[in-house]
Amino acid sequence: MARRTIGQAERRFAALVLLPAALLLLVFRIVPLLWGFALSFTNANGLGSADWVGLANYQAVVADEAFQDALVNTVLVLSTLPVWIMLPMLLALLIHQGVPGGRIFRAVYFLPAVLSSVIVGSIFNVVLRFDGSLNAALKAVGLHPVDWLGNGWTALLSLVTVYLWSTFGMSVLIFMAGLSTINQEMLEAAKLDGARFWARLRFIVIPTLRPIIEFVAVVTTIGLLTGMFGLIYVLTAGGPGTATTLPEFLIWLEQGKLNRPGYAAAISAVLFVLMAGVAWAQVRIMSRNADL
Amino acid sequence: MAAAGKRERRSLWIAAIPMALLALSCVYPIYFAVNNALKTSKGYILDRFGLVTDPTVQNFADAWGRARFSEYFVNSVLVTAGAVGLLLLLSSLVGFALAMLRFPGRRFVFVAILAALMIPIQVVLVPFYRTVEGLGLLNTRVGLVLAYTAFFLPFSIYLMTAFYRGLPRELLEAARMDGARFLEVWWHVMLPLGRPALLTLGILNTLYCWNDVLISLLVLQDRRTLMVGIAALRGSTRPTCRSSPPGSCWRRRPSSSSTSSSRGASSAASPWAP
Repeated sequence: MARRTIGQAERRFAALVLLPAALLLLVFRIVPLLWGFALSFTNANGLGSADWVGLANYQAVVADEAFQDALVNTVLVLSTLPVWIMLPMLLALLIHQGVPGGRIFRAVYFLPAVLSSVIVGSIFNVVLRFDGSLNAALKAVGLHPVDWLGNGWTALLSLVTVYLWSTFGMSVLIFMAGLSTINQEMLEAAKLDGARFWARLRFIVIPTLRPIIEFVAVVTTIGLLTGMFGLIYVLTAGGPGTATTLPEFLIWLEQGKLNRPGYAAAISAVLFVLMAGVAWAQVRIMSRNADL
Repeated sequence: MAAAGKRERRSLWIAAIPMALLALSCVYPIYFAVNNALKTSKGYILDRFGLVTDPTVQNFADAWGRARFSEYFVNSVLVTAGAVGLLLLLSSLVGFALAMLRFPGRRFVFVAILAALMIPIQVVLVPFYRTVEGLGLLNTRVGLVLAYTAFFLPFSIYLMTAFYRGLPRELLEAARMDGARFLEVWWHVMLPLGRPALLTLGILNTLYCWNDVLISLLVLQDRRTLMVGIAALRGSTRPTCRSSPPGSCWRRRPSSSSTSSSRGASSAASPWAP
């Protein structure tokens, strides 16, 4: 009897604590998600009237050139994923191996990660402009200046590079944390047996870091799919043309400029499906790491 | 063997060169911004890249006063403080419950919260805006606090749950034996023990809330937080903008410009009202 009341108190407290959190998530995330899904089948135009139009929005989305461009841009951006993992890992490894000045590097690399994407965008707006400091530096060493933000290819490249610049410090930090869990004795023993840097990397470091690599890969992918809004907004506004328009920015444009919530909701649904695979991987990795 | 060690040492010295250049690139934009912020309009036109020769704090005064940054600053501080406080409170309570307490559906709740983590704001942009509007929370700081809490809560709960998971359940049982209620256990045991995780979360969430543009752009259209204010000043480095009368460069609510039809045009820096 006493045991039972203890269990009841436990449950009551848990329910009481979970309620506000669940309510917030329900109101601001779950309901909007379902609502948006419903909206994507209507011709809602923001004026109140909305009729069921079936899959018309989705057909329009697929046929929309801006959306096709955004999709191609997404694929291009995602294809840079290996760089996002290997560069921070390499930097973390070098710091771990005792590169001269390593402690300073670790601190300084984190600096851009603290800055808002708006600040980063504003600064690089001036740096990358045709008469900006990067071109001034290029001219100083006798190279031709490039209109970094004015050409399609270089604009996308600039956008991705700036985003990489502003987030790699965080990944370096995560890798450093992972490296500190490596068995130092095993590493020393391998060194004594004559294993070179690359051999130690392949047979000891990378296997140990596997969960961290997975984690960084998933977090980075989600960042690439949904974290670049602020930077696009300030640095390129999706242009020139649609060269730097990603789905997340397109949704915002459709909704805000052209006032087509039904259409925007359809793009949202497509983006959600794109993300579902990544999301599933992340849920698996995270619930495994939390050991619940 | 010693030779191998020596060679590796040399490789590390060589690797330090590109790493130092990268570090320099991390510092340069900050130098660039501060250096130019101290220049007068004339000084900026004459020499964009050189070191400031005629330092002035007039730009800061202009931003603070004329560009209404004092107001934006207060908004940012209040909203960030409110959201981070609420996030820490809720996530430590829920993390404690999920990690330590036994109740049916615990695993389901945890996975559901992780799943909620996967719904990015972009995917729910339109209905999210309508929800906020429907609740009468549009253009209120409370609305933005609740929105931030809802969007950053799943990650915070995940982190706190994982952290409390590493603590022995005996802590809870011992405190219960001594007659402590669950809320007391949380306050006297879990909160102090959770300090390292709460500190990390506090820093991360402060960064997220302070630096956010998109959610703030939606919820706080009239009043603006600092980052939205800065985003609206895009191109402010042009001196003409500095010397023009207030209001011409910084329109408070350029809803009329939302009718501009060109996709990806530079006028994207205007909040929109669906």
